[in-house]
Amino acid sequence: MAKKVVIMPCSGIGKAYGEIGRQATYKVAESLRPEEVETECLARLMIDDPETKEKITNNYVITVDGCAKDCAKKNVEKTGKTVDKAMRTLDVFKEHRDLKPEGVLNLGEPGMKLADFLAEKLAEEVDSLVGKGE
Amino acid sequence: MSGNFVEVTYDKFTFRVDQSCFYHPNETWAREEDDLIVVGVTDFLQTNSGDVAFLEAPEVGAELTQGGDAGIIETIKTTVTLSSPVSGTVVEVNTTLADEPELINSDAHGAGWIMKIKPSNWATEKGNLLSPKAYLPIMEVKAKQALDNKK
Amino acid sequence: MAQAMKIPTDIRPTKVGIVPCNGEEICEGSVTRFACRKVLDEIRPGKTVTICLPLFVAGDEKERNFACHYPTITLDGCGKRCAAISTEKLSGKPARSLVVTDILKKHGAKLSGNRKTLTAEDLKLVDLVAEEIAQEVDKITGKED
Repeated sequence: MAKKVVIMPCSGIGKAYGEIGRQATYKVAESLRPEEVETECLARLMIDDPETKEKITNNYVITVDGCAKDCAKKNVEKTGKTVDKAMRTLDVFKEHRDLKPEGVLNLGEPGMKLADFLAEKLAEEVDSLVGKGE
Repeated sequence: MSGNFVEVTYDKFTFRVDQSCFYHPNETWAREEDDLIVVGVTDFLQTNSGDVAFLEAPEVGAELTQGGDAGIIETIKTTVTLSSPVSGTVVEVNTTLADEPELINSDAHGAGWIMKIKPSNWATEKGNLLSPKAYLPIMEVKAKQALDNKK
Repeated sequence: MAQAMKIPTDIRPTKVGIVPCNGEEICEGSVTRFACRKVLDEIRPGKTVTICLPLFVAGDEKERNFACHYPTITLDGCGKRCAAISTEKLSGKPARSLVVTDILKKHGAKLSGNRKTLTAEDLKLVDLVAEEIAQEVDKITGKED
């Protein structure tokens, strides 16, 4: 069976970056690349959930962190899995300086646009990974 | 080099005050380094502002006045105009911050330094700044207010 | 092994840490985020602090120190109770462990199932969950607003 891509956002609660990463992940998983992408709760990795660990072991993993603390990447790598691509929402904001979210969870139009740009980048990374094929 | 720190913790946030610096009330610090003054932003400012995405520092050669504008930092939630703690000429800017502005957050008093200034009136202007001992209680009040009133 | 946290009855804590699971898979995970922020920003500002679970587990000192010294309320989306289990493992048993599915069941309520965008009805249920958290905060701090 072809490997899929599991996208794991950090979902940080303290900054808007967390929600932007989450919204971008949902857009890719539900609209842009529904056949190739799956999601999984990052928190389940933290409790050593065997199904979650198996899923990330057997598939490609892209982590989407809000900032340089790289929590999603670190939590995935604690399981022994090396992430296939690590992305940061902060880097997308640097390319779209005019798009400032209106709140931490209620992003407003500019925040959702930023999520859309991030989703496009994620979709490109998904294409790159599944294009490798195994 | 930065000196010893005093740390204050409020809720889950720890704010560091470098004992080797002098502090402008608008949250920039000044540290003597030979005949130059190294300038950066305080731990309180970087914590309150969020992850720095952009820094616009004055150019080398720019003339600054104490309390006057000295560049901006921009995060996803705010843009902050920095106040120069000292008058003088900018002789060096931390170019590492162009690619790694997050150093301002992770090491505000060390690798996150912003510029070096050749001061024009340091002996007098030093007296206008806060010593670490004087700055600490002011910072504590600000931190408490900021964390209790955040929306 | 983490020690269970006992809250002394003679000295009430002034702050409580709220730990949402943030689960990405189901709508209830989104509810944990919105309910937590509602308590922090609107209902009990100044009395609550959010603990970011991924940061907490990744090893951030600030999050762990707070959770070691203050009582926590975990808010999980489902019965896997990831936030409660992680918190107990890393800093001590939470003072309260809430689960969104249990709260909704108690009130005979149901979410839309849309994890990306909470509907107006979902947001009313967010308020309900937030009030449950707030009541627990009040019991822990011994104060009523």
